[in-house]
Amino acid sequence: MQAIGQEQTVAFLVDSTCEVFEKMVLRKLTQGIPIEGDALRPRSNVVATVSFAGAESGIVAFYSTRDAACEIAGALLGMDPAEVNGDMPDAIGEVSNMIAGALRTKMTDAGTPCAISIPTVTVGSDFYTKYVSDVRRVLCPFKMGDQEIFVELIRQKQ
Amino acid sequence: MRRIIINTLNKLGHTEVVEAANGREGLDRLAAGPVDVIITDWNMPEMSGIEFIRSFRGNDKLPQVPVLMVTTNAAKDDIVEALRAGVTNYVVKPFTPDTMREKIESVLAG
Repeated sequence: MQAIGQEQTVAFLVDSTCEVFEKMVLRKLTQGIPIEGDALRPRSNVVATVSFAGAESGIVAFYSTRDAACEIAGALLGMDPAEVNGDMPDAIGEVSNMIAGALRTKMTDAGTPCAISIPTVTVGSDFYTKYVSDVRRVLCPFKMGDQEIFVELIRQKQ
Repeated sequence: MRRIIINTLNKLGHTEVVEAANGREGLDRLAAGPVDVIITDWNMPEMSGIEFIRSFRGNDKLPQVPVLMVTTNAAKDDIVEALRAGVTNYVVKPFTPDTMREKIESVLAG
């Protein structure tokens, strides 16, 4: 087993996210510049997290507004975004599961095997997420048309 | 994932789709009538994809048809386990509609 550098892991995460959106959501994403640190997280109504553990441990988090989440769910399910409603959390859970799964495959192929958890999706308007362990965080912004989405890599410090 | 796959199948022109929420329901649906192809996920509630395939393949009373497994797990050991359990082929998530079409055509061609 070998450790993968932070930069490489972030690159894997960005590639995984773009791959999922191009193949499944049929949307091309424009990447922004990753932001490292504990700065305030983006205003989001939908947060999905998937944990990974093995040679390395951490979390992949997906953030979006409700409108963006409904657009994504609508594209996945072949529905008008306005009609998505109760299907949105499951769809976003599946998106985060696929992003984390693709990242897991890349990390495993690079010599850092790990397993992933089932996704957790939180929907609301007045909450924040906090990670108790000593972690290193990198937030990756993307544009999906005129919407913004974010994917974050939270790695437990060794 | 089930609804996502159904949407993909509809886009490919496969409009007659029998759904099952989990492996047990899948076995009940198969007992009620034959299908051309089974598409199953790896992780499912009540009965995993592997457990479902082993039950299906081990039941002589059910018509044996091709099985496609959809999974995020591209690990070789897990794919070998799935193939040994009786999966005909697999599709790794994320997949394009074209990939799903190719996989379905390949299992139907035998």
